[in-house]
Parts: sequence; C-alpha cells; structure tokens
Amino acid sequence: MLTLAHGIGGRQDLPIPFVAALIGAVVALLVSFAGLGVLWTEPRLAGALQYARPVAAGIRGLVNAAAWRWAVRVAGLLAAAYFCVGLLFGPDRAANPTAGVFYVLFWVGLVPLSLLFGPVWRALNPLRTLHLLACAALRRDPRRGMRPLPEGLGYWPAAAGLFAFTWLELVGPERATLPVIGAWLATYSVVMLAGAVVFGSGWFGKGDAFEAYSDLIGRLAPIGRNPDGALTWRNPLDGMAGLERAPGLVALVVLLLGSTMYDSLSNAPIWVRFIQESGIPAPVLGTAGLVVVIGLVLAAYLATTAWAGRLGGAEPGRTAGELAHSIVPIAVGYLIAHYFTLLLLEGQRTLALLSDPLVVGADWLGTAGWTVSAAGLSPASIAMLQVTVIIVGHVMGTVLAHDRALALFPRRTAVMGQIPLLVLMVVYTVTGLMLLFAA
Amino acid sequence: MRLFASRIRLLATGALLGATLLGASACGGADAGASAPATVKEIAVTIKGRAVTPPPGRVEVAKGQKVKITVTSDVADEAHVHGYDKGADLQPGTPATIEFVADQTGLFEAETHEQELQLFQLVVR
Repeated sequence: MLTLAHGIGGRQDLPIPFVAALIGAVVALLVSFAGLGVLWTEPRLAGALQYARPVAAGIRGLVNAAAWRWAVRVAGLLAAAYFCVGLLFGPDRAANPTAGVFYVLFWVGLVPLSLLFGPVWRALNPLRTLHLLACAALRRDPRRGMRPLPEGLGYWPAAAGLFAFTWLELVGPERATLPVIGAWLATYSVVMLAGAVVFGSGWFGKGDAFEAYSDLIGRLAPIGRNPDGALTWRNPLDGMAGLERAPGLVALVVLLLGSTMYDSLSNAPIWVRFIQESGIPAPVLGTAGLVVVIGLVLAAYLATTAWAGRLGGAEPGRTAGELAHSIVPIAVGYLIAHYFTLLLLEGQRTLALLSDPLVVGADWLGTAGWTVSAAGLSPASIAMLQVTVIIVGHVMGTVLAHDRALALFPRRTAVMGQIPLLVLMVVYTVTGLMLLFAA
Repeated sequence: MRLFASRIRLLATGALLGATLLGASACGGADAGASAPATVKEIAVTIKGRAVTPPPGRVEVAKGQKVKITVTSDVADEAHVHGYDKGADLQPGTPATIEFVADQTGLFEAETHEQELQLFQLVVR
C-alpha cells in the first residue's frame, strides 16, 4: 500500500486470516451458483427504470437550481485553491498535507462520495469550471470546441489518465514529494484543458480520468438521473447496467481492478524481496509489474468473454464491451477492502494537517489538534469488512453479467454462455482474497 | 420487481451471514493471541551492498510484546519503523538498536531512508 511522505503514517491492515479468505471464496462460489440458477430468467435491469421512485420535490428543486450548481462549482474551486496553498507554498515535509489530500482524501475519498451521491467529480471538477468561466468571459458556448469529439475516442483518454495516475501512486519515484505531485498535476491540467478547448466541455465526461472514475463508481449510487434527466431513487444495479458500451471502457474498468491488485501484490514480501535483490531499479520493475498485472486481468477478461460469446452464440466481438459494467462492482469492492483503513486513519491525519498547509503552526480550520482514532475497529472487524465488500461486489458483478447475458445470448444458449463469466468472477474474487491474505 | 428486490436482499443476507461467521472465527483467533508473552522479540538485520540479511519477510509479534531491532549497515543511513515512527541513525559497521512496545495492531514496514530498502514487515496481532 501507499506509504506517504518520508516514512510517516505507516500502519497497514493485517493480512486477512486464511480461514477468512477461504470462507469468503466458498460463499462467493455458492452465492454465484444461487444467483445464476434461481435469480431470474429474463433481463430486468436498466430498462425504462420503471421501478425508480422520484426524489422528493424539495431535493429535486435544490439540486436542479442554477445557484446550487454554482455553489458546488465554487466549492470545488475553493478546495482546489486551498490545496494549491500547500502544494505551491508549503515546505516539502511530511507535515505538509498535500500528498495526503491528493492520494487519500481526493482519490480514495471519491469512492464513498460517488457511491453515495453519484458522479460528484463532474459537479466539482475545478478544471471544468475554469473552462466554463473562460468560455463565459469569451462569450463562447462551452460545449462547442474547435472540432467535434471523435466517436472512436470514447474512454481511451480517461484510461490513459487513469494509468498515469495509478503509475504515479504505486510506482512513481518520490511520488509523495511536492515537485512530483505538482509536475504531474500541472501536466494533467494542461492536457485536460487543451482537450476541452479542442473538443468542448463534452471532453471531460469521458476524457478526464477522475470524472470517469467518479462516474463509474457513482452508477452504484442509490440516487441518479433517468434517461430523461429526472432525479430518482433507484436500484444501484439499474444504475450500473445503464453504463453504455463505449471504446476504451474495457480498458478503463480493467485498469481500475488491475492497479488495485498490483498494489496488494507489491506489498507481499516475495515481491519486495524480488525487487530489492534483482539489482534492477525499482521504478523499472514496478512499472513492469503494474503492466503485467493489468495485462493478466485484461487477458482473463478478454479470453473468458470471448469464450462466453462463442458458447452463448452472441455476435462476435460484442461480449467484452457489453459486460464491462459487471467488473465495476468487483473493482469497487476491492478498492473499499484495500483502502478503507487508509481513508479512515490517514484521512483523519490529513484533515488535522490541513489546518496548517504552510507548516508554520497555524490552525486555520480548527482541526490542528485532531488525533487519529481507530473508531473501535479491531483487526477482526476490518478483515470481516474486507471479505464482505469483496463478496458483495462479486455478487453484484455476477448478477449484472447474468442479466446482460440474458439480453445478449439467445435463450437456448444463455446458460452455457454464462459459465465462462462465472469462472471469471470467481477467479477475480479468489485472486482478490488471496492477495489480501498474502499482502 | 418486489420479488427481485427481496431475492437480492436474501443474497445480501447470505453474504453477510458468511462474513459474520468468518468474523466470529477471526475474533476467536484474536482472543487467543491477546495474552502477550513477556519475552522480548529480538530482530537483527544486516545490510551489505544493498543486500538485506535475512531477506525481507514478515516478523510476527503479539500485541503488547517488546520489540528490539538491531540494524547493522555498511553505509550511513537512517532506519525507521512506519506507524510507530521509531528510528535510529545508522553509522557504517556499527549496530544501532530500536526498542519499543508493539502496542498497536497492524502491519508496519521497517525500512531505511537513504537507500530505500525494506528490512522487514512487522506484523502485530
């Protein structure tokens, strides 16, 4: 797991007990078979969302109000500006909150925020707001760029951005220092704003890695918008199934799962030993390891979905893209299992440091005196939580894949076609549990 | 849809039940380890030409156990135990010791700052 600046904040979760991993794997298997056989025999998800209940008019009015949107945008701008105080003017020391804000509060914190409220980064994204303000100043339509967004681009820019971020987070040398974080963010901002200038504000939705990340996770939120734009309470599975096939989507979801798995692997003593004794510079081996793990996750996905397509009798080449959404809950379960205590413990520490971004002994936000509390979490309850979220993610993935398979395959071959998918889900889950057991 | 929702709930309950069972078994394990032995856990590490002996691995101790780490490095460096934030300056060829009581559970990395080597991972249960 990520160890922050200069050796501070190093408590990590205990490896989950072998018995826990084993029980988790067995439960996942049994539940999968039950899910497949008993659950339902017709595709039900993401239809007309006829089961979604409209949100109370008061909330709807508030969220749809222009003033609310601007309040959220300004909050995003203010937060980014405050972050830049520590990044640009603070000393490059462990007491600087910048690394904690970037890797913990922002990156990990977006998971629970998106799970609860949907694609929040789209509303907060300060780059989107800057582009909007610049367009307003120039009296231009922000949606119109110099040319239309190419259809084939899809999620590829977001996938590239996500890879760049996970590489920085997990492999990048000196990744917790200010010059590295600053250079990465400056490059990222320039590329994102350039994309918006060329293609218009529509670029951010699938081009910005953090918006795409928040949107993928946010589809599991209990609240969301109907295709007609109305705000409704919904079954998270409906939201997830509404994710449409697009170029680069498979790469994006596989990156999300693969990079988190690499993070576990890189902490295993066998990997540490291998890196230290090989004599090859750690960033080179780390990059290779990250690419190989993501490659394996991708290969498993492409092979099983192609196999499923053949057994199920689907149109060749369609299954991989159509089933990508079913990997998202698995990746999210794994993200939570992996980062929950990091967010809880490092998050508290970062909030305390946030009061003093210049490290001069200030207490701007009144949080300087906060001490990190474990909130009564025992190693056993953490292990239980980890196994539970992985199983829940697995179950949701299985249900989503099952539902889509029914729509994708002719009825006669639908059951056969799902066997490879079940194998894939179980392989991902058992690998995830084993990595949490080993690392 | 209602039927569907109740089945989902059933599945979720099943998953939680499994997790609870496992939580119970994990709790049993934690209780058994709670009686910390009074002995001091001694860990000796040597660094020579960037090679760590013994090679990085996991060292398990019980919560509340005293830990005494001795590090001998062939170059000047700084050893550090994450989480506990205990450290020692390393002079070439001179053993340095870090002593503390392992009073919080978790996994903690012991490493050096200059050469950026991981020495071992301390597992406190």
